[in-house]
Amino acid sequence: MNIKKALVLGLFLSCQSVIAAPLAYDLQAKKVAENTWIFKGKLEDFSNKNGGNIVNTGFIETEVGVVVIDTGPSLRYGKEMRKAIEQITKKPIKYVFNTHHHPDHFLGNQAFSDIDIYSLPKTKSQLAQHGNAFAENMYRLVGDWMRSTEAQLPTKTIDTTGLKLGSHHLKLMPFTGHTGSDLVVFDEKTGVLFASDMVFYQRALTTPHTPGIQLWRDEISKLKAINYKVLIPGHGPISANTAPLDQMSAYLNWLDNTLIAAAKAGLSMNEVIKLPISDEFTGIKLSRYEFVRTVAHLYPEYEERFF
Amino acid sequence: MKTSIAILLLSAAIPASASSEVVDPLESPLWEYMREQFIGDDKFVFDERVKVELPEFAEDPTQVPITIDAEALSGEIERIVAWADLNPIQHIFTYYPHPDIVPRVSLRIKVQQGTAIRAAVLTKDNIWHVGGRYLDAAGGGCTTPSVANANPYWESHLGEMKSRFFPRQEGGRYKFKVIHPMDTGLVDAIPEFYIQQVAVRSGSGQDLAKMDLSQPVSENPVITFDVRNGGEKHSVWLRDNGGNEFEQEL
Repeated sequence: MNIKKALVLGLFLSCQSVIAAPLAYDLQAKKVAENTWIFKGKLEDFSNKNGGNIVNTGFIETEVGVVVIDTGPSLRYGKEMRKAIEQITKKPIKYVFNTHHHPDHFLGNQAFSDIDIYSLPKTKSQLAQHGNAFAENMYRLVGDWMRSTEAQLPTKTIDTTGLKLGSHHLKLMPFTGHTGSDLVVFDEKTGVLFASDMVFYQRALTTPHTPGIQLWRDEISKLKAINYKVLIPGHGPISANTAPLDQMSAYLNWLDNTLIAAAKAGLSMNEVIKLPISDEFTGIKLSRYEFVRTVAHLYPEYEERFF
Repeated sequence: MKTSIAILLLSAAIPASASSEVVDPLESPLWEYMREQFIGDDKFVFDERVKVELPEFAEDPTQVPITIDAEALSGEIERIVAWADLNPIQHIFTYYPHPDIVPRVSLRIKVQQGTAIRAAVLTKDNIWHVGGRYLDAAGGGCTTPSVANANPYWESHLGEMKSRFFPRQEGGRYKFKVIHPMDTGLVDAIPEFYIQQVAVRSGSGQDLAKMDLSQPVSENPVITFDVRNGGEKHSVWLRDNGGNEFEQEL
């Protein structure tokens, strides 16, 4: 074969490989308890490579139908998720929940548009206000994975603290620490706690809409009082013990103390973002990246306290 | 080979007057135009001693923290000009530091998109020393209405200042915040309204730091200066483009 031919063939092959790889999340349902499955996201930030699949979503199969908890970052994700659910159970999907208004938790809603989608009332108004901007930003961050995705609002708001579905009794608990409106779902039958983004584990927490570090920390103490068997964090590995909550408390404490000390010393934001992160948290993915973001979100309030 | 490296090193150390000889380390498409605007045909050199500190990305494009640090050139400085290449209004500030003040200043700015942020320091030998860093951003900071525009709070608090002195190992630091909408004039039906002049004065009334600000400085500016003599009393004086003057003991 001469060089020219080899080149042409090489080009052809490389083009083909691009065309032959349609975007797919390849979602695998992982059983975490009786009648309960999750789809595990990567411990990463949004990227073109992961298509925004950085989030844990899940579903519960009850005698009277399926409950879906969060719909993922895109229409494509929502469709894949629904298909994967229907491969596991023939029961109809009865309820879809959006735990809070962040893009990786609700942008798959279009795939469930024939079913009632529920959120806390404040989450719905937050989505009405920011949903489109979040969707646009996701196109910028992950690109073609988002094709045809639009922000679709929940159709119903949650007006009850519990839901009895066959033998499953789901407690619907409103919290505020992460976004001002965070739904936590506890299945009393299986002991599975869907903690949503109230809990990040081994992946640094995000703070763009937190009403305050101290408030979040206080609510983590309330989660500790729940007698769960399995905890599903919004991001990170599942756990059968209190390690995720202990990590949350420790990190929130460190964050609070660090920002107070920095503001007291008069540090500028650019000095704060370079401060060392406690050795305790070096194993947490994206800790520096999220710390820099957190300083942008929260440091002005700490500065204000020490003027 | 050795000779060519020597020539390369030599050429890097000699200030360029004709721009085509020097390549912008940040590869900004607007470098040539910016150079014409702010430096003109003066001699200049890209100089890492002029530090521009900022986060890699603008989490909030209306409040991007920048720190310009020219301490390495202290005592030789005529003025420092800071700008953002790809902002609709590029100029951020011009700073005239007195030798008794540390030529380092931190404040927050608005950016319209990802851009090179520059600081050019003119030294007394008439050479510009240019430092810079690239900032990634989703954009929109300059054409977002100020928070003040939707909230009348500022009207009754315009020019109110909060300040605090922080002792440092040497000298001390002043940080102050002033209530001001800092409207860019780029938002429909909101005229430009921003602080144009800042002066930090010593107890004897001498200007230790004089700054001319432009519209990209963020709403309710928070500005940090370091002074060499922490024991002395200082005051800050501001004037906006509406002619309002504000003064306060620090």
